[in-house]
Amino acid sequence: MTARWLVLTSLALGALGLCSNLASAQEAKNVAANAPDPPRAAVAHANAAPSSASSQDDARWRMEGEKRFATNCGRCHQAPHKYPPRVMATAIRHMRVRATITDDDMRYILRYITQ
Amino acid sequence: MLFFRSNSTLSAGLRILLAAAALFGVAVGQANGQVEDSQEIKPLPVFTMGTGFISSFEGGTPHLGPLISPIFLIPIGQNWLIESRDTFEADLTPPPGSNDFKGDLQKEVDYLQLDYIANRYATVTIGRFLTPFGIYNERLYPIWIRDLQSDPLILPLGVGPTNASTGVMFRGGFNATSKIEVNYAAYFSAEISTNRFESDRAIGERVGIFLPGPRLEAGGSFEHLLQDSRSNAFGFHFAWQPRPLPLDIRGEYARSQNGSGYWIESAYRLNQVPVWRDQMRHVQAVARMQQFYVATVPSESLLPVNTNMFEFGLNYYFQDNFRFVSSYGRQFAPLGGNENVWTLGLTYRLVFPLGNGDVE
Repeated sequence: MTARWLVLTSLALGALGLCSNLASAQEAKNVAANAPDPPRAAVAHANAAPSSASSQDDARWRMEGEKRFATNCGRCHQAPHKYPPRVMATAIRHMRVRATITDDDMRYILRYITQ
Repeated sequence: MLFFRSNSTLSAGLRILLAAAALFGVAVGQANGQVEDSQEIKPLPVFTMGTGFISSFEGGTPHLGPLISPIFLIPIGQNWLIESRDTFEADLTPPPGSNDFKGDLQKEVDYLQLDYIANRYATVTIGRFLTPFGIYNERLYPIWIRDLQSDPLILPLGVGPTNASTGVMFRGGFNATSKIEVNYAAYFSAEISTNRFESDRAIGERVGIFLPGPRLEAGGSFEHLLQDSRSNAFGFHFAWQPRPLPLDIRGEYARSQNGSGYWIESAYRLNQVPVWRDQMRHVQAVARMQQFYVATVPSESLLPVNTNMFEFGLNYYFQDNFRFVSSYGRQFAPLGGNENVWTLGLTYRLVFPLGNGDVE
């Protein structure tokens, strides 16, 4: 009986891996098509003198970040204090694990809450 | 070594589980290439603590409940995180014939875990972790987050008396499409009898689907005990935050050999009320309905009789991390008597960076 459940769990884990494998290509298409590219550098832009193009990107990232913050974090938390950026970086890593928020959501939210 | 017994069948099964886990990691790793952590901000260790003082009157008996819950978050490199939460709390009540409040200090290691963010789809956790059954235990349990201070009646179903497991867990969240996010957690827990680290030998998983558009989440959980009765538990959960309103609606259903039941809760922040806006925006009204049904095998951590309960609460947020909480509840237990439950309290959470928090 025990072995049967373990095998079933193993198969479930394998299926999850397969699903995420299949999802990766689809997700890449969808994210590229429907949202600004996730910010790759979370804070470098915050301290740099923005060009016109980067200002537009900043505005888009901020709006997307604010939306994703409300959608994800607001499910359990009230809007928080402003904490220093490195504290927020730790908090968002904690919440990525705790609340299973996606990698893209993490990037947008970190960008938003550290600006 | 805690994970293995001499039972050869079991060891073989566990080897299959671990092999599958390894394949899982390889599969998702190959699917997405090298993990890319965009955080140019270097996270630093953080100490945070939730504290509260909750007084309640249950059927006329007063209870005083001071609680301190320190949390350590220690990021290592780009992909690692050590996190722990302990709880120190007391339930002080006057013994019969006395006006003095007495009670023992209870100490519990809620979680002490090492997380490895393997890639954008999977995080591997080892150590002691909160059992991912339903959403209340992992997300809503801390007193500085929960909207009503009493536990749901069905909380012990699926998570056991300590709410925690000890072993290995795989979890993550990813976009299935642009409008659908999937989150999952699968775990194996070993039997631990050491004081403050107790856990059952079990396997389980939870899968949820989140729709960011309507802000609706639904999912299911399953756990199979690998000891004693070798019973199963399963549950369903949902959460919804309609966009036009500052309203949270959540609920869970759970069933095991120890009982079954559900709770459904709504919390409404009064910042759209057109009078006394400066004050009303700090106020939150909460209501929860729940029912619990005893099954064939009673459990010490569950109520002994069928019970219905309705609660209504008002919370006032002085700040986002400091609030006054209050509630009134009526418990209906046809075979065990009815009683009122009043709750008053304060909750507070502080965050203390262990270093310079600004970007260098």
